[in-house]
Amino acid sequence: MSSNGTRASSHRIALGDINPNNLGQLKRINTVIFPINYQPSFYKDVLEVGEFAKIAYFNDVCVAAVCCRKDPTPEATAPHDLYIATLGVLAPYRRLGLGTALLEHILEHAAEDKKIGKVYLHVQTTNEEALAFYKKHGFEQKEKVANYYPNFDDSDAYRLEKVLVQ
Amino acid sequence: MRELPQKEANLFKQILKNYELKQYKKGLKGAEQILKKFPEHGETMAMKGLFYSHLDKKEEAYEFVKKGLRYDLKSHICWHVFGLLYRADKNYEEALKCYTQALRIDKDNMQILRDYSLLQMQLRNYEAYIETRHQLLELRPQNRMYWIGLAVAYHMMGKNDLAVKVLSAYEDSLKDIPTKPDYEHSEMLLYHNSILGEAGDMQVALDHLDSIDKHVCDRRAVREKRAQYLMALDRYEEAEAIYRGLVKENPDNFAYIEGLQKSLKLYFPTTTTTSSSSSPSTPASAPATATAQEQEKILALFDELQKLYPRSNACKRLPLRVATGEAFVRVADAYFQHSLRKGVPSLFVNIKKLYADSDKEKACEKLVLDYEASLKEHGRFDAKSSDSGEKEPPTALLWTLYYIAQHYDYTRQTDKALAYIERAIAHTPTLVELYMTKGRILKHAGKPKEAMEAMNEARELDLQDRFINSKCVKYMLRADKVADAEKTATLFTRVDIADPLNDLVDMQAMWYSLESGESHMRQGQMGKALKRFHQVEKHFFDFTDDQFDFHTYCLRKMTLRSYVALLRLEDQLRTHPYYVRAVKNAVQCYVMMVDKPEGCDTKEMEGMTEAEKKKHRNKQRKAELKAQKEYEERRAQIAADPTKKGKLDEDPEGMKFLKTEDPLGEALKFLRPLQELAPNRIETHLWGFEIYIRKKKLLLALRALLKAHALDANNETLKKQLLRFAEDVKAAKDIKPSVKAVIDNHWATLYGKEAVGH
Ligand SMILES: CC(C)(COP(=O)(O)OP(=O)(O)OC[C@H]1O[C@@H](n2cnc3c(N)ncnc32)[C@H](O)[C@@H]1OP(=O)(O)O)[C@@H](O)C(=O)NCCC(=O)NCCS
Repeated sequence: MSSNGTRASSHRIALGDINPNNLGQLKRINTVIFPINYQPSFYKDVLEVGEFAKIAYFNDVCVAAVCCRKDPTPEATAPHDLYIATLGVLAPYRRLGLGTALLEHILEHAAEDKKIGKVYLHVQTTNEEALAFYKKHGFEQKEKVANYYPNFDDSDAYRLEKVLVQ
Repeated sequence: MRELPQKEANLFKQILKNYELKQYKKGLKGAEQILKKFPEHGETMAMKGLFYSHLDKKEEAYEFVKKGLRYDLKSHICWHVFGLLYRADKNYEEALKCYTQALRIDKDNMQILRDYSLLQMQLRNYEAYIETRHQLLELRPQNRMYWIGLAVAYHMMGKNDLAVKVLSAYEDSLKDIPTKPDYEHSEMLLYHNSILGEAGDMQVALDHLDSIDKHVCDRRAVREKRAQYLMALDRYEEAEAIYRGLVKENPDNFAYIEGLQKSLKLYFPTTTTTSSSSSPSTPASAPATATAQEQEKILALFDELQKLYPRSNACKRLPLRVATGEAFVRVADAYFQHSLRKGVPSLFVNIKKLYADSDKEKACEKLVLDYEASLKEHGRFDAKSSDSGEKEPPTALLWTLYYIAQHYDYTRQTDKALAYIERAIAHTPTLVELYMTKGRILKHAGKPKEAMEAMNEARELDLQDRFINSKCVKYMLRADKVADAEKTATLFTRVDIADPLNDLVDMQAMWYSLESGESHMRQGQMGKALKRFHQVEKHFFDFTDDQFDFHTYCLRKMTLRSYVALLRLEDQLRTHPYYVRAVKNAVQCYVMMVDKPEGCDTKEMEGMTEAEKKKHRNKQRKAELKAQKEYEERRAQIAADPTKKGKLDEDPEGMKFLKTEDPLGEALKFLRPLQELAPNRIETHLWGFEIYIRKKKLLLALRALLKAHALDANNETLKKQLLRFAEDVKAAKDIKPSVKAVIDNHWATLYGKEAVGH
């Protein structure tokens, strides 16, 4: 350790599991970032998906989280695709690599799971930063889904997906 | 008829063996067998009782032992057994009496003498203990434990010279001194040395230390002692060398650094700390504050230490105490930046002591407010260097906001404190500490319910943290939400016992007893409240009792320095704030029971007419009866559940305490230890007065007033008590002339010269 390596020692990123004891922190993150009221069943499912739901710590403070769910798909070759339901970083902690750390974790584990063919998600058409973020990570922008978020002013969304190479 | 025929005599020997080997059932069978033939054999009967007591039949046990004694009053065995019975019940006074009887009959019985001496130590009956130990020593002069025990007793009595004499005599009598390192021998020598140190002749102590040096295993203790003695002998340079070595080994030990400073004549008990009186080796002439030049030297010393030991916290913190003015701003700035960057949650706690100096408080406030502005604008602590270097992590602003909120809370600027904690929460809403601090601010603002809600938010963010859970329980109790508190508390208690709240009692969670007792008190439930305060008293009784086994253990293992420290701690035990709080509350409850036997008014009864109050009380009683019934049902349910261990509380309402014949006597029992241990606390006497005046003990009440008056004549409670005392004296018709004379004698002290002849 170098004595003036301020950045190394004061920019520590670590991922952690979600469990019933810290579920409150995940809820808090989602509540402030996403204007959607998730049902209790959403959080119950989160506890079941193992590595596909994670929280991220910045200098030991919990500041970001990702929650995915596996969808059954019509194609027989890939029984489920992975859907990213929420991926959010608290505003003061953006552009520090936390989103990348979480997304990479998801992509890695998805690639290991042979049954997963692709990872996809929806982003509001106006959410420039998220679009830039996902494109940077090799997601392709697919069709526009009109009125995907019926309760929002900007209710249209793009579907983005990344096909996993086996 | 003590003599038994051969066969039974052998059997009797056998049952004594059984007892030693803890074979109680077998022993009992043997005893029954003898008693079949010789139903009036006293010693066997007593043994039967002893077995019963170990088989959990206490009442029968006493009956049999007493019966045995009646058959054979002249048997030391019977008396010894009786003593053992009392001892097992922790009734040491009675046990002691029985042993005295036993020894009258068999004065050189080693077993009894040993047990006897343990009781005497437990009861701090030093004179008698010394006598017993002398006797043991005469009987077994080669036994080390008897020598050491004697020395400890003299030491505890303050007779250091005699203690040293005994130890020296023993050391001289040793034929083969261990050549290899021997821990027990080493501890004895160090103990010997520590008594010399306490005795005060430092040269003697130092010489002795040199002489034992090669036998001592605890090398660090030798160096600490040597440095301490050298300092006292003004041999600064030698002391400095030792302290430098000690600091090198543990640069976070405040005492070592302080020692080093002293050896350099650079130690100044700062006005901001109260601990200065507790360091005995501070030269009496040391001025309280350093000159500018000295300050510079101290700061230079710490600079040097920080470079040598960059990971030491103490070396970073201590300069904050020393530095003043601009120098303070400089060292505080560095310390703050380092801590805020790293994210040290305890930063404010580390700093707040410095606020005793209002200049430092202001300097700290300015620093952190500047950080806030600069971090928001440039992402750096320092606005001036804004275009060079790395940006700070976002947590730096978070911890800064957190600090500022605590700063304003501490200085009781509640609105600002709340505004800042909300800002911090908006920044990072997942940080548990923020909600805890919000709770604390609201508590200080006198809003227990909102405080509780904030604390519960904190708890819900981290359900596995027992500390937060406990805090939340405490805040629920402060808001008088007892049921919620119990539910929350039992999230962390054992699941396999019938009454989970009992687990808190088993764990001796005194904070819980006190907080819940105080809540019951606020709600006018005196029985429940008293139950909790008596629980605290019981814990202290147990702490006192817990030392019993150490009287043997420590002498055997030679851990004498710790043993003496333990004895001294036990002697002061009941000055602990928890005990004092229990006394305060219990006295208040009992006094209330005397003043308002119909039950006291609670907050919600304010402004009610007498009739309304009566109706309210009836309603409350009904609710209590209902709760009682529900409780009985639950008890039946649990009794039927084989997975639950333990019993339910027999008296959850604390009726036992409500029904006491002598509430004031009970209150006095709580207070007595304080009268002995804490005569310098004015409360001790104020609470005493409330009891004595109601007991109509005018002289004792007078004495309490005089003591309180001597401590602080301007105390507000005392002023009210003086009025009451004067009224009661005036109203009393049948004061004895002798009593009246004493009161008259002291009247002027309490009421001033002009009041003479009331
Ligand atoms: C999208 C989001 C998760 C990104 O998280 P993040 O931790 O800031 O992302 P990273 O720091 O790992 O950024 C990785 C890269 O993504 C791109 N990116 C991220 N945010 C960007 C922005 N606002 N503008 C342009 N590019 C951006 C950049 O290329 C960035 O690399 P760089 O910082 O080296 O230039 C975060 O902005 C967020 O939580 N937004 C709100 C929630 C949301 O919209 N979620 C998506 C719907 S599920």
